[in-house]
Amino acid sequence: MSKIPRSFRLLEELENGEKGFGPESCSYGLTDADDNTMTNWNGTILGPPHSNHENRIYSLAIECGPNYPDEPPKVKFISKINLPCVDQTSGEVVAKNFHTLRDWKRSYTMQTVLLDLRKDMATATNKKLPQPEEGSTF
Amino acid sequence: MASLPKRIIKETERLVTDPVPGITAEPHDDNLRYFQVTIEGPAGSPYEEGLFQLELYLPDDYPMEAPKVRFLTKIYHPNIDRLGRICLDILKTNWSPALQIRTVLLSVQALLASPNPNDPLANDVAEDWIKNEQGAKQTAREWTQRYAKK
Repeated sequence: MSKIPRSFRLLEELENGEKGFGPESCSYGLTDADDNTMTNWNGTILGPPHSNHENRIYSLAIECGPNYPDEPPKVKFISKINLPCVDQTSGEVVAKNFHTLRDWKRSYTMQTVLLDLRKDMATATNKKLPQPEEGSTF
Repeated sequence: MASLPKRIIKETERLVTDPVPGITAEPHDDNLRYFQVTIEGPAGSPYEEGLFQLELYLPDDYPMEAPKVRFLTKIYHPNIDRLGRICLDILKTNWSPALQIRTVLLSVQALLASPNPNDPLANDVAEDWIKNEQGAKQTAREWTQRYAKK
């Protein structure tokens, strides 16, 4: 397999996001439609059912730096959430505490990150964690 | 990296030994399927005297699949969007393996010479072009001066 360059990879992800391919439980798009470096993205995760996150919509900010996808994006929750991998002051997803960012592979996408975060919300221990008031932000 | 297909090697060589006037295409040292491209704005078009930077990538399935091409330089054109994506039939539905990097870049250059505002790529530039062609061309000239000056 050859290495698809950053920009064409991000254009593919953008198209998949715009066309609404993939699951309905998460979405993502460019923060600024004019930014041709395609660095800043916003994402949403629909809280998984049968958990304290049920029916909540979480907003996130995703930053794909110049070395993406060789390096993972920086991911930060805007909506307040109580999860072990999320820094409780900044909302940042701490890479060393979140396997998808820690063991990053070039084939992973923003969608991988969002779906894996959603899975993390639904684990036996995390789904029962008390959650901040809905709608509060970091 | 997997070895490069002969077809790509030949095309790359020919781009160097027999370049297309007004167009350069050079592969990156660390990714021979990824080209840095420049296209000179065609004479007589609003892009005249501009030098536009593009990037081109040959996907794994090339030549069964079309190359991916994008403008890096900002350009005011009804068939090129704000992210530099190009609306050109041969890059999508009308791609044929008989086409080459060279023919693709010539088509992009031709698109600069004759914009097609009636193409379904719906954007504000196309609308401007249809409503006020002279004004739109003036804007295109200004953008060329501002972003693509040689």
